[in-house]
Amino acid sequence: MRRAIAAGFALTLLSVASQAATQAIVLSGLGGDPDYDHRFAEWNASATKALQQLAGEANVVSLSGSRATAEALQKAVQQLSQKQQREDTVVVLLIGHGTWFGDEYRFNLAGPDLTGAQLKALFDRLPAERQLVVNASSASGAVAEAWKRPGRIVVTATKTGGERNATRFPQHFVEALSSDKADRDKDQVVTAAEAFAYASGAVAEAFKADASMVTEHSRLEGGDAARLVVARFGNAARNADDPQLNALQTRQQAFEQELATLKSRKGSIPEDAYYTSLEPVLLNIARLGDEREAREKQLGLTPTGGTP
Amino acid sequence: MKRPLFLIVALLSGALPLGAQAADIDYDPTRPQALRPCDDARQRGRDADALRCYERLAQNADPLVRAEALWGRGDLSGANTAFREANSGSRASVRGLVRWGRLFLEAHQYSEAQSTLEDALEQSAEDPQAQIATARLLAERFNPGAKDLLDAVLKKDDTLIEAHLLRGRLALESGKREEAVSDAERALALSQQQKVAPLEAQTLLGAIEVFGGRDPKRWLDEAQRYNPRYGRIHAELAHFELMRRKYREANVWLLRAVELQPTLWSAHEELGVNFLRLGDRAKAREHLVKAYEGDPFSATTVNTLRLLDSLEQYDVRRVGTPALVMQLHRSETAALAPYVEDIGKRSIALFSERYGWRPSDDIFVELYPDHDDFAVRTAGLPGIGLLGVTFGHVVAMDSPSARSGGDFHWGSTLWHEMAHVFTLSATGHRVPRWLSEGISVFEEWRTGPTPGVSLSPEPLQKFAEGKFLPVADLDEGFIRPDYPNQVQVSYVQAGLTCLFIETRWGFPTLAKLLKQFERDTTTAAAVQAATGLAPAAFDTEFQAFLKQRFAAFLAAPDKYVQLMREAGRAYEAKDFAKAAEASGEAVKLLPEFTEGASGWLLQARAQLDAKDDAGALTTLTGWRTAGGWQPDATRKLATLLDDAKRGPEALVVLESLNYSDPLRAAGHRELGERLLTAGRGAEAEREFRVLLAVDPADTATAQFGLARTSRQGGRDAEARRHVLQALEVAPSFRPAQKLLLELTKDSAP
Repeated sequence: MRRAIAAGFALTLLSVASQAATQAIVLSGLGGDPDYDHRFAEWNASATKALQQLAGEANVVSLSGSRATAEALQKAVQQLSQKQQREDTVVVLLIGHGTWFGDEYRFNLAGPDLTGAQLKALFDRLPAERQLVVNASSASGAVAEAWKRPGRIVVTATKTGGERNATRFPQHFVEALSSDKADRDKDQVVTAAEAFAYASGAVAEAFKADASMVTEHSRLEGGDAARLVVARFGNAARNADDPQLNALQTRQQAFEQELATLKSRKGSIPEDAYYTSLEPVLLNIARLGDEREAREKQLGLTPTGGTP
Repeated sequence: MKRPLFLIVALLSGALPLGAQAADIDYDPTRPQALRPCDDARQRGRDADALRCYERLAQNADPLVRAEALWGRGDLSGANTAFREANSGSRASVRGLVRWGRLFLEAHQYSEAQSTLEDALEQSAEDPQAQIATARLLAERFNPGAKDLLDAVLKKDDTLIEAHLLRGRLALESGKREEAVSDAERALALSQQQKVAPLEAQTLLGAIEVFGGRDPKRWLDEAQRYNPRYGRIHAELAHFELMRRKYREANVWLLRAVELQPTLWSAHEELGVNFLRLGDRAKAREHLVKAYEGDPFSATTVNTLRLLDSLEQYDVRRVGTPALVMQLHRSETAALAPYVEDIGKRSIALFSERYGWRPSDDIFVELYPDHDDFAVRTAGLPGIGLLGVTFGHVVAMDSPSARSGGDFHWGSTLWHEMAHVFTLSATGHRVPRWLSEGISVFEEWRTGPTPGVSLSPEPLQKFAEGKFLPVADLDEGFIRPDYPNQVQVSYVQAGLTCLFIETRWGFPTLAKLLKQFERDTTTAAAVQAATGLAPAAFDTEFQAFLKQRFAAFLAAPDKYVQLMREAGRAYEAKDFAKAAEASGEAVKLLPEFTEGASGWLLQARAQLDAKDDAGALTTLTGWRTAGGWQPDATRKLATLLDDAKRGPEALVVLESLNYSDPLRAAGHRELGERLLTAGRGAEAEREFRVLLAVDPADTATAQFGLARTSRQGGRDAEARRHVLQALEVAPSFRPAQKLLLELTKDSAP
């Protein structure tokens, strides 16, 4: 089995499962008309490509359009569960139309639909303890509570099952996976929290631009979304087992913990004093950045790091 | 038809104070005699006597008398019930229905009033009282047809006082003083002959004096002799001051009205709305609360009180002396204030110079993210289609977020409204509506954020149909339009009239025309004085100018639409070359049309689909020069300019988006970077500050931008703080790390 090794140079907190693998399933259901069929397929392709970059091609299953059946999904889950370890991470992304009639959520697939309960049972069969399940369909809020379990982050495009309009959320969530737009802390890593924040913000902006009534309000349930990586860019996306870089990473982790402590005091000390206290730590991290850049040059890697 | 058992909001168990909702004078000679003594007491200002009198009749066996008595004592709910009884089944009479319709009118329930009056007219199509009531309803709703109806009524019977009064009022509102005088004098004579109260005739005659800038004292004195507590005359005088946008002057009359007649709730309401126009929220609330206590039926009062509550959510920023005072919603202040300030300051400087008047008072600019708040702010009611309104020194308008991107160019709207501040103030509000609007449109075209004479085919089609009004009557097109969209057509006609004056005589003649209105005059006299042409000759030359200026379009006014249909069909069939060609031909007919459905944009789209980027660049450049501004097309133009290595031009194009689509984070991010690269640190800083406001989730980018602009400006301490703020949220942000090391003269060991 080929495993994608998490090799981030930046926030080492993110690389807790540094020797663990990430697997993903991207499922896009029926569009109901050519326009939606096209959109769903396009988003599926973009998300698949982005997740393959993160997890490796063999670790991503993509089911789209007529191939996206209940049976195919069950088979994919079965295959993944055979190779998956408890310490692995799994990302599931559902794109499409969902329905909810007050008691039961259904995700629209070619052939028989799957209910919320059936989908939950499938995800529960996956051995990975860290799970991100993104249901970007209409009415997806209906399952937000029911799908929760320890270690699983559940993201839904809507707040409740009553938000039944076709959703804008998946387009922006896929953007968050496919570009560094969502990388708000400029560490070349996008976490589930960042992707969610980006997509939610973009949905709000899109409704505002149209001056139309907001018909979806996304939700995120479960903890540790800021530690679950969904995309890497630049050198963060490359494999590197260089001991020097790993040592730098460890030192940076210590500085970042120090930074977190200082940040917790914000508001309780005068602003000038606060930033004065921050500066030496940030300088230390910056100097590590210089060292890392020099080492990357030695290794023949093109230095990258944050926009612009 | 079914009518409500209760008047809306009117489930009042008791009666309102007399005068609260008492009917206007009922001139119908068939009004029951029993009511006459009560009416007389009321019209003479003996309120206590009137109340006792109506009370006595409130139990009358005749439900019509009972209804009138209940109405007379202010019990609209009881009156409604009695009218219902009076008009049930076979008992329904024309008089009963007309008076019931009037009650609905009084209670601001216009659809009920309309259907009730329709029922009356169904019983007797020629009934003069039903026709007069219908004309009043039409007039109150600013619907056309009232005057024609009144003409017909008076042709059959010239002794109907109310018809004369209403027609005279309409004439005065249209600036036709002589017609108003004729009707008012006739109404006064008839009042004396028929021995009814002359108060409303005296009121109209007083209004005529005010409208002509003369002292109405004679009529005020006569009305007061008849009824010492008759405040309505002052309220009516205020109405005509308001029509001329003399808001401060109107308040003088309104305050006198409520002093004489404290229960005149409509005057309290008008005072509340008007104090709000003048920026005095405390007094606005005081009078609106009084109005609400007396008349809870008025949607205007209720809505304006709600608006006052929501104004707590607004920031107020002042810049300069006299100040430009910006009232912006708290959620948008940081994002919009820089651009509002820019437009405000530039327009003040430019218009002061062009029109020779400098503001001595503060100018208020209010932007509303909720269109209904803006509508209530301006008209007291939601649902109006306007974008902006100016009350003297106060400009109120939609915020860019009130409408979808591309719906309106907020910068041009503000420019337009700022021009009103000058034309109104420079003339003491005497400028006629057409000239004020005309100059505002003209200034949008000539000096605004999107220069270019920009108009759609419709006004020219109306011109071709002979529907442009003579200049002396152009106000009619705004006040009482005769056909759909005539108001919009009149805006363009007014703008073109100013363009014609500038073209024919030069800009100073336009300024001279405006100057004529520093004193009371008419459009006809002002045009003659400024241009040397009599209005008829002016109209002839104006028409010749239009025929020459728009010769290509006017040669075949339907051809533009035909070409666009052809282009649309070709585009659908993916024949992009043909689509580009046909839309390009349309552009040649009317390059001034730049909106979404214009030939320019279809031509550019077809060229892009045909991979003809160079052609699309030429098209969109021409489109923008002609006044095009839609955000998506503007962004595309910037991309094409970049691709053509014309970065500086792309920067200018992107900057223009701040005045059409200012709440999009990506635009500010890109603009900030480009301005920084161009060495325009102050403007780059503005963009990064706005970015911080519109995209609070990405503070690192904005703070890093601010750090670099500070650095560029030699303000290293500020730069250091900003870079720390960037790294605080994004410690691995490599470019920010490098800047910190540079700023601290540090380097890698």
